[in-house]
Amino acid sequence: MLNWLIWLIPLLPLLGFLLNVFVIRQERQAGLVASALVGGSFLLAVVATVMLGGMPEEERRVQAIAWEWIGTGTMSIPFGLLFDPLTSVMVLLVTGVGGLIHVYSLGYMHGDPRVVRYFAYLNLFVTMMLMLVMANNMLLLFLGWEGVGLCSFLLIGFWFERKVAAAAAVKAFVVNRIGDAAFLLAMLAIFSHFGTLTFYDVEVNGQIIPGFLEQVPNLLGQTFGPEWQTIAVATGISFLLLIGATGKSAQFPLFVWLPDAMAGPTPVSALIHAATMVTAGVYMMARTEPIFVASPATQSWVAWIGVLTALIAGTAALAQWDIKRVLAYSTVSQLGFMVAACGMGAYAAAIFHLLTHGIFKALLFLGSGSVIHGTHDTQDMRKMGGLRTAMPTTYWTYLVGAGALAGIVPLAGFWSKDEILAHAVSAGYWPQLIGLFIASLLTAFYMGRQVSLIFFGTQRDPHYHAHESGRAMTVPLVILAVGAAIAGLMNLPTLFSGMPAAHLLTDWLKPVLHEEAGKFNPLLALFATIGAVGMGYLGWSVYTRNAAKVKVGGQDPAYYYTGDIWDTLEAAWYVDTLYQRAVVGPFRTIGNFLAQVFDPQGIDGLVVGTGRFFGWVATGVRQLQSGYVRMYALVFTIGVVLVLSFMLMIAW
Amino acid sequence: MQVPILSFVLWLPALGALLLLTVPRKSDELARRIALVVAVVTFLVSLTLPLRFVPESALGAGPVTMQFAETLPWLPSWGISYSLAIDGVSLWLVMLTTFLTPIVVLSTWDSVHKEVRNFQILLLLLTTAMLGVFMAQDLLLFYIFWEFTLIPMTFLIGIWGGSNRVYAARKFFLYTFAGSVLMLLAVIGLYVLHRESIAVSQPGYQGTLNFGAIVADLRSGAFVLETATERLLFGAFFLAFAIKVPLWPFHTWLPDAHVEAPTAGSVVLAGVLLKLGGYGMIRYCLTLFPEASRWAAPAIGVLAVIGIIYGAIVAFAQTDMKKLVAYSSVSHMGFIVLGIFALNSEGISGAIIQMINHGLSTGALFLIVGVLYERRHTREMAAYSGIWTVMPIYAGITLLVALSSAGLPGLNGFIGEFVIMQGAFLSPELGWPFLAFAVLGVVLAAIYLLKLYREVFMGEVNEASAGLPDLNQRELVTLVALCIPIVIIGLYPGFLFGPMQSSVAEVVNGLAPVIAGR
Repeated sequence: MLNWLIWLIPLLPLLGFLLNVFVIRQERQAGLVASALVGGSFLLAVVATVMLGGMPEEERRVQAIAWEWIGTGTMSIPFGLLFDPLTSVMVLLVTGVGGLIHVYSLGYMHGDPRVVRYFAYLNLFVTMMLMLVMANNMLLLFLGWEGVGLCSFLLIGFWFERKVAAAAAVKAFVVNRIGDAAFLLAMLAIFSHFGTLTFYDVEVNGQIIPGFLEQVPNLLGQTFGPEWQTIAVATGISFLLLIGATGKSAQFPLFVWLPDAMAGPTPVSALIHAATMVTAGVYMMARTEPIFVASPATQSWVAWIGVLTALIAGTAALAQWDIKRVLAYSTVSQLGFMVAACGMGAYAAAIFHLLTHGIFKALLFLGSGSVIHGTHDTQDMRKMGGLRTAMPTTYWTYLVGAGALAGIVPLAGFWSKDEILAHAVSAGYWPQLIGLFIASLLTAFYMGRQVSLIFFGTQRDPHYHAHESGRAMTVPLVILAVGAAIAGLMNLPTLFSGMPAAHLLTDWLKPVLHEEAGKFNPLLALFATIGAVGMGYLGWSVYTRNAAKVKVGGQDPAYYYTGDIWDTLEAAWYVDTLYQRAVVGPFRTIGNFLAQVFDPQGIDGLVVGTGRFFGWVATGVRQLQSGYVRMYALVFTIGVVLVLSFMLMIAW
Repeated sequence: MQVPILSFVLWLPALGALLLLTVPRKSDELARRIALVVAVVTFLVSLTLPLRFVPESALGAGPVTMQFAETLPWLPSWGISYSLAIDGVSLWLVMLTTFLTPIVVLSTWDSVHKEVRNFQILLLLLTTAMLGVFMAQDLLLFYIFWEFTLIPMTFLIGIWGGSNRVYAARKFFLYTFAGSVLMLLAVIGLYVLHRESIAVSQPGYQGTLNFGAIVADLRSGAFVLETATERLLFGAFFLAFAIKVPLWPFHTWLPDAHVEAPTAGSVVLAGVLLKLGGYGMIRYCLTLFPEASRWAAPAIGVLAVIGIIYGAIVAFAQTDMKKLVAYSSVSHMGFIVLGIFALNSEGISGAIIQMINHGLSTGALFLIVGVLYERRHTREMAAYSGIWTVMPIYAGITLLVALSSAGLPGLNGFIGEFVIMQGAFLSPELGWPFLAFAVLGVVLAAIYLLKLYREVFMGEVNEASAGLPDLNQRELVTLVALCIPIVIIGLYPGFLFGPMQSSVAEVVNGLAPVIAGR
């Protein structure tokens, strides 16, 4: 039964997409249909997960093949779904948070002239995201992978009249494509070495298509490349996959698109650019974990890229004024935590953090959307202040989200972050631990700053009348706030011996990730808590005390301490500027040179020149054709004489 | 006696052209309708081909994969015959041709406004010529059809083209003609060598130009080409095909031809005419000259990869939409050549499917450019802005087609590109270093297509574009007709891959000895 049930999960939102594109023309219908279908998907996902849980542990993997997608030569790639513990938690997150965001959008997007299209895109996104996490092979995963990229493009550029939004949409797609190219190469290499792209063995039409994840040990010792510098195949493949993940999950050096992506509607930022799509890279690494684990070299790169990203983005988040850009850099930073966890071999902890982050970051984005909505499209925090009285629900829920992100006990973020840090300690990744610890201190500080700037002090810009948002928006906020508060329960560490319901998630994921739960480290937890509370308080108090000094065009209170470094942080270490100067600019120059000089004058010049040469020769020959019959007669005679004498000579 | 379906499909358009001669010159509407009926009937008749095509499993182990064969003696004393047949390689190219023809005829309602009757006559003649190239099993017959495609196309550009049409038409004609003259020499050379070689054992042998017979003798060892001769003949064939494809650096006729050609002409040119080159490479270069193909594969692979990247970069730098699409063809056709010279079944079947895809997607892109051109009479991207607001249906279809061209998974372009790349990766002649560069083409395709999309469709509507009407019914029908296979092939390419398997395997088997023996 699970075989066909799991097909319904992505098909329902697909149906919503088709209805919204071809049939529905009315805002209310569109929103309700879209939300209901995603809600339906969520219920089915719950049912499917329960059924999966009812199976014996080693059998918890359902694969359903619809048809052979590509079958030519030696290739046989099925169009098939997979449902196992790892997929199930991803599906629950995508449909659960996705459903809430659909409902929220009913309020947030009300009155937009293209709202039907908005819901169509949102449904398509959920479909593609489900394909991504439910695919039973790399190629289908890639369909979802690029499909969510497309939806991201459509939704960032939803208000395409704005130049900024159009540019950001294209940038997101193109930067992702760079990662995708590496992903493509990885798939080619996987197929070349394993002869398959499916993750696990699967039976199609009586034939077993082998799964490559189960054959990874065969790769050990295999290398390719020139003799003086061979690369292990596992390293090559996993490194390419890592590049793919840096694109989708906005890691250094490809994170530059995510802050710009905030040009899209805020619920989109919550769903795509915080809770689900950007975590796809982490999911993919967890799914292909055997290949990563087979290559210590890549693992080390993964860990350091994660740490570096967490630090770069964490510092950049300190110096943003735009309410959503703070959250965007924060997302990048948190994704860095997850990636670092993967690199350190704590895949279950990475998924744990992915899930809690999906909940509390969605909450924060939706909260910021509520703020933006209630302040009449104000996004600059310098124009806010004192909103806690006007928007109490938003304020309290936001506070829960901020606390969870900062890692305050006992909110969700504390447990998942602690799991990662504890693993770093127990596995001895000390330098990485220090990096991540600093990044978590930064997190607490900028959240304290943001809460202060938005909700404390007095309203700095009197041009609007702030109001609380409607029910469609506040109810999802409250639900998510409850989630952010208690989501840690799903994977509590063993706090005391004999504790019931400890590390549920790690155990649930065991058939996929084969990981033992980490040990709780009370000392580390204590340090982390003191750090989080202290830095959060510091951020809050600095900006609350100096609230009156904050104004548009003025300097940040922290500028006094940091000086020009603040500008560097605001520009996120100028990485984007570097790309503009070192890549985009030269590319245009080369393109123009080739198009305007080299092609028309170089290559075509040669062609036309050759043509002219023959033309010139022909003209020369034509000179001989003077039209005088006597001349022709003479030439003819000479010719005949020559031929005759030649024949005579042979005959002789 | 069996019904000669191939001859029906082949000559129906030409008969339609004859019929059109009886129509008065000025009655445009009538001429269009007759042409449309003829094109649709041709397509419907051709539908019997895939329906009655027997995939290999039913044929048994025999090597014969040519089907619907017809042979009539023509010049028996020279061994020349009127012989037609198709296999899995040509089947879908024939279908592409018959499928695109009605669409092209429909598009003439909006894009051709003078000498309409003559336009349709030439178009139908061109269709017959192109079908002939795909069906011919006799080298002379093939050559005649091959050359005959030039004449109508040259007139289509030279008479109905833009301001610089005469230059473009002449360049198109001379350039491609120069390439095929060498091919004619090679055909004659092959004929003579074959006759002499067989005459040793069978005195008085008259020789043949029958493709199957020559191939059979080559494979059996009765006819052996010396390495140098083989390479020379290969080169002559290859050059003709490379110009037609066009492979970098033989591409410069293409942008000129496209920019000047009327929309309908561009669709045929990009949709089918370029495929003649790719088809020729598979059918003639690989099959007749396996050793030379293997010898040249790495060099050709390099040219193909250069073409992929070069075409994409130059496309990016264009300001004229049509030129952008034209250069994107150079990039895409590079993928096709790369797949063919991977010399394995993945690469070749990927190349065939990508020829279909390119015909659909690029054909649609030219129609799309034509839609705007008919409304505003400019193709400069800078002249447009915010078209998404005023023409939402058009914008949606454009996005779908652009994504198909950029190789988004789930749409047709991705299938072809991926299978080609997999073939090239697996190929001992090419291998991963080629892919490390070729994959850039995938990134660049997204860059130039989205650049076009952003400049033309996104942003505020400018004054000149305000109030442009969305697609009319005819435009909608033509574009939707192209979008449907774009989606279907993306999700279920099996119906294309299936019938071509045995024929591709046949080509690959012919190559196997030279690849194994190196």
